[in-house]
Amino acid sequence: MDRDVSTLPPGLAGDPYRAHVRAWLAAHVPEGFLADQPGFRAPDLAACRDWEAAMHRGGLAGITWPTEYGGHGLSLREHLIANQEIGRRALPESVNSLGKELAGPIILAIGTEEQKRRYLPPLLQMREIWCQGFSEPNAGSDLAGLRTRATRDGSAWRVNGRKIWTSGAPNAQRCLLLARTGAVEDRHRGLALFAMRMDAPGVTVRPLRQMDGREHFAEVFMDDVVIDAEDALGAPDQGWSAAVRVLAIERATNRMYRAWRFENELNHLVRACRADATLARLLDGGAYHRRLAETVVDIEIVKAHVEPVVDSLLAGESIGDRGSLMKLHWSEAHQRFAALALELLEQAPPGAGPEVQAARARFQRIYLSARAETIYAGTTEIQLGIIGDRILKLPRESAKGGR
Amino acid sequence: MAQAETGKTEMGKTEMGTADKGNADMGKPGMGTAAVAAARDDRDGIAAFAETARHAVAACAALPVRERARQLAGDGLLGILAPESAGGLGLGPSFAAPVMEAAGAGLLGYPLAETLLLGAAFGSAPVGPAIVLGETIATIAWAGIAEGSGDRLSGTVGRAPLVDEADLLLVATRTGAALVPLDGAGVTVQPAFGLDLETPEHEVVLTDVTPVATLDAAATAALREDALPLWAAAIGGAAERCLALALEHVSTREQFGRTLVSFQALRHALARQKLAVEHVRAALERHAALVAAGAPEARLAARTSYAAATRFGIAAIESALQLHGGMGFTWEVEVHRHLRRARTVEAQGDAPGLHRRLAEDLLTANA
Repeated sequence: MDRDVSTLPPGLAGDPYRAHVRAWLAAHVPEGFLADQPGFRAPDLAACRDWEAAMHRGGLAGITWPTEYGGHGLSLREHLIANQEIGRRALPESVNSLGKELAGPIILAIGTEEQKRRYLPPLLQMREIWCQGFSEPNAGSDLAGLRTRATRDGSAWRVNGRKIWTSGAPNAQRCLLLARTGAVEDRHRGLALFAMRMDAPGVTVRPLRQMDGREHFAEVFMDDVVIDAEDALGAPDQGWSAAVRVLAIERATNRMYRAWRFENELNHLVRACRADATLARLLDGGAYHRRLAETVVDIEIVKAHVEPVVDSLLAGESIGDRGSLMKLHWSEAHQRFAALALELLEQAPPGAGPEVQAARARFQRIYLSARAETIYAGTTEIQLGIIGDRILKLPRESAKGGR
Repeated sequence: MAQAETGKTEMGKTEMGTADKGNADMGKPGMGTAAVAAARDDRDGIAAFAETARHAVAACAALPVRERARQLAGDGLLGILAPESAGGLGLGPSFAAPVMEAAGAGLLGYPLAETLLLGAAFGSAPVGPAIVLGETIATIAWAGIAEGSGDRLSGTVGRAPLVDEADLLLVATRTGAALVPLDGAGVTVQPAFGLDLETPEHEVVLTDVTPVATLDAAATAALREDALPLWAAAIGGAAERCLALALEHVSTREQFGRTLVSFQALRHALARQKLAVEHVRAALERHAALVAAGAPEARLAARTSYAAATRFGIAAIESALQLHGGMGFTWEVEVHRHLRRARTVEAQGDAPGLHRRLAEDLLTANA
């Protein structure tokens, strides 16, 4: 089977845009950047920034955004193609994914003209990295219970509160902040969105060390932080509905390269095992065939869920809550795969060669970070709830004592 | 038997490829997402087809097998994949899938997947039209191989759904496959220990039987690959039906003073059943789109659909049975019939062997 061909979507093999993307990546991916190649060195923040800025200049970021805001004015179809090619290469994850895939689309949806011009170009040029200030110590899955308060102060807002698990906060210049303008009892109503400057007086970031050893998320304390009116996104009571609307699309379209990256990981795992006599015997023995095949199938199913979303959105159709089906599947499938990879590679004998050691390092990272994937962006339990409530439309409560 | 021609028909160049690629309604090859969009434009036509299939399957429940064949043929459902020259429709998998879903959901007692495949494979052979018109009932022995030279085949084959009612049987041979008549001498049909109640499996002992038509190795392999999405759709339809039954059950039954559906544990089980149904559907739609685009990845997509159905679809049926509680273990509730069929289809398609091949392909690609 030709894996190269098998990763192409229907009829897009000869697409000129794909040729452009391939040529650009071949010419521009920095030395040592690919995690499945010899000589890989995990790039630092500055290298990631430079790389992503270069990707934007090369047309591979902000693909669907209007050109007046620094985008490239293309369709989701090109976005899918670029993601497939990015996914097929073991490139680093974006350090500004929350800007590009969450804040940006929300700003495009509800921001003023002036806000779009002010926020979007620096975001794509990687001069401003964004973080997401949604979750709080007592408002995780129950996001509508958040307590961070924004009160009017003349034309400006004054914010007090505390956010936690704020992804990307230690490196961010801006925070997409969800705060309450009304009473806690109002729940969904009275929630407002802000583009808060992270260097504003009163903002304190305390990085949290994650179980994978990184410090990507953080606690963010806001003590009388003043946010100018120009940094309020949408009307004060639009925050929640805007967030929910955008989140439903984002859940279905973010990191669209995922299936193809999983494929890259699976191929890397097999190659690495092949490089060691003990692991090669394990692979060829057949005991792992079933799980390897199920991984292949899991990845094909991710593709089968992702590609129609692009078609639906291009056709102007609503994708509803389909993102929950996709998210539930890919997150669990990736955990299954990561556990398989770890189990295989940890059977490497002492003294295994550099290819096996590099793969062990990569898949240990992947295994640990994959534990977060069924937690962030709505836990598995939240997704199951959404599928039951909104897709199957199950009745929520039984009538007491009868039906 | 009208089709009992003794002259052997060489079917090396089968019509099956044409059946897959010749779907004019699915857009031209290479159109990519445009082909997908064209398929979407045709969704109304496919939906109408599905509706016809649901009615036909429901009507079949009260009919003897021969009349089921006429009913299905009368509605054009036996020749979906067969060429027009054989009285078929020459359509692709996007039309076959909803019909197989209806057959699965409605527990159709007819070897429909086998008929669709044989109508396509023997579309230009003399036996083709009779199969497509439902005058001849043909089925396939999915296990075993018949030995012997050209016109004298012997051996024990099995996993042949409804073969006790059939006129013709496709059996594997060393050179591909052969269609043998079942009404002559040298044929013994004996009960097997199959789970399926709708199209029960039997074993067939052949002694010096002369085939009426043959397929070469490539056509036989293609037929097996083409069976995968048909089976996937049948299991997907069954899983969706079982989800609907489970939902109905937990929405009406009360325990602890509440309807069962208010309990989160059951809601989550239903959500996972829905996820399984959507996996199978998404895999089938991707397969149909890739076939329409003439893309080589269609083969992996076909395998994916079947693997998804036997893994997630069967798990969903089992979960639906569980949600029925004690009722689920009764003969009366139909969920067990779906489970029996799905497990039988899993064996007919050799799901374990398919997984081995998928793994071997992965290892070969990264050798």
